[in-house]
Amino acid sequence: MEDFWYEFVEITQSISDGLLFGSTYALIGIGFTLIFGTMHKLNFAYAAAAIAGAYVGLGMLSFVDAPAIIVFLVSALASGAIGYVVYIACFRFIPVDNPLAALMTTIGGLFFIDEVIIHATNASPLSYPAIFDDVFIEIPPYSVRGDLLFVFLIGLLSMLVLLFVLYRTRLGLATRAVSQQNVAAQLCGIDVHKTNARTFVVAGVLGGVAGAMTAASVGVLSPLITLPLTVKGLIVTVIGGLGSIPGAIVAGLMVGALENVFLYVRGVNERDMYVLLLLFVFLVFRPNGIFGRSIDRD
Amino acid sequence: MDYYLGLAQTIGIHTLLGLSAYVLMLTGQLSLAQAGFFAIGAYTAGILTVLFQWTILPALVAGALVAGFFAFLVGFPALRVRGLMLVVATIAFSEFVRMFFFNLNWRQTIDNIEVGPDSTQGFREIRFFSANGWEPWEVTLFVWFFVIAVMAGLWWMDRSRAGAVLRAVGEDELAAQSVGLNLTAVKVAAMTVGGVIAGIGGALYAHTATYIDHLTFTVLLATFAIAYPILGGLASVFGTLAAVVFIQGILIEGLRFLGDWRNLLFGLLIILVMNLKPSGIFDARTALLVKRMFAFNTKEH
Repeated sequence: MEDFWYEFVEITQSISDGLLFGSTYALIGIGFTLIFGTMHKLNFAYAAAAIAGAYVGLGMLSFVDAPAIIVFLVSALASGAIGYVVYIACFRFIPVDNPLAALMTTIGGLFFIDEVIIHATNASPLSYPAIFDDVFIEIPPYSVRGDLLFVFLIGLLSMLVLLFVLYRTRLGLATRAVSQQNVAAQLCGIDVHKTNARTFVVAGVLGGVAGAMTAASVGVLSPLITLPLTVKGLIVTVIGGLGSIPGAIVAGLMVGALENVFLYVRGVNERDMYVLLLLFVFLVFRPNGIFGRSIDRD
Repeated sequence: MDYYLGLAQTIGIHTLLGLSAYVLMLTGQLSLAQAGFFAIGAYTAGILTVLFQWTILPALVAGALVAGFFAFLVGFPALRVRGLMLVVATIAFSEFVRMFFFNLNWRQTIDNIEVGPDSTQGFREIRFFSANGWEPWEVTLFVWFFVIAVMAGLWWMDRSRAGAVLRAVGEDELAAQSVGLNLTAVKVAAMTVGGVIAGIGGALYAHTATYIDHLTFTVLLATFAIAYPILGGLASVFGTLAAVVFIQGILIEGLRFLGDWRNLLFGLLIILVMNLKPSGIFDARTALLVKRMFAFNTKEH
């Protein structure tokens, strides 16, 4: 009984830690889904841009000494700017009806951003500032890591800001109009390219927050993060249903929690395998994701 | 001389990789699972020659069949979704295979040396060719025997009913379905054939490189696999070969003097090319242009 109780506490502790960290996956998933929703294309360079934003924040530290919160802010803004560049380079001049060409350009963008980071840092991991990493909130038998709680709250705040932008501002109205009916939006006088570019910036800022929070909760920043983060973001997007923001949030938290359980049960090397298997389970039994409609399949 | 033979082997192996994606692309599907099938072929054949002391040919056939089998298995769930969803599903498959080999530890002592896949350390000592005294040119010939066989097979298939079926599905799924084609069967068959071809390529790769580890089989390799047919166009198998010669022979070897900057250029080049020619370098218009040029030349002379 004692053993069982111990296991139970450990597993529920893993789940709660995972749920908190899962908010970063949810943010990345929202970014993918947002861009898919407006353009019906996937932006493979997205997670790389998020990590690159975190690097810019870190780079600023080497010039001026700033508190961690400023580093996070700069990271988010830089990622938004990179998002704009990615839009111009990889989407602006690609025909609307050719998602595969945009796929290739963004994969090119992913490699390019990755290589720039590797060049700038000699591929060695750098330490990233964190907030509240020495705070532990004890609720016996559980303890909540202060930095993870902060990550979760920031994630939650970003999601609320995003929902506000989408549903309460003119930009959000334009974004939703373009995603629902591209041509009709154009006929109403909405500049599609401008709206798409702004959506990329918004998604980029969101990704920058996610990149900064990932780096802050792990404590280090390394180019090795980009690919796993891309793959996990895509998995979250697909599990949640392409184009569905609530789906991305739920799937992000779910992947974060399950990942931590796999970590506890099977160890760090095998953890990611089971997350990938999860995607196949969804593809077999629920190919449209949690909240996706069948129209969103392709 | 050995340098050029090595380059010829690389070009041959990458042609197989590109052709494995080409088959599936004929049906209109873009798959990044090719790196996974390639890895399965490489590890299976490597394990058979190193741990079980098989000779190369049966090991290679086994590697191809195992890769084909997994392509068949993964085809069913993956091909329920199309387009971008398929891309995500196949990336996940490739990553899964990579993680599997990352964790695979199967060491045995053979002839007083411990050999076999050593998880994070990779799989060394796949020395079948050197242990049996194969000359580099013999290895190159061996590789190209398979390249030519696969190319001839696909070229012949393209002129048979099977090729017409694949292209019909690729052109218009609804029309293909309405003339009585079973879409799932066609796509899974194409996936399986692609898996077998990638498996052959992987088996050859493992034995020419003598060392493989999980980092060889990343999304980068899968991107190479689809970049060849996209660049070379789907008009015929020779487009893929031309693209491989262009990328591996000219871009990668030719830009060696740039050192590490070469990798930077690769990403930029993809972006540039796709912006200028979104439907591939050798798209229908370019193909027509080349044809006209040739027609013009034959009239002249």
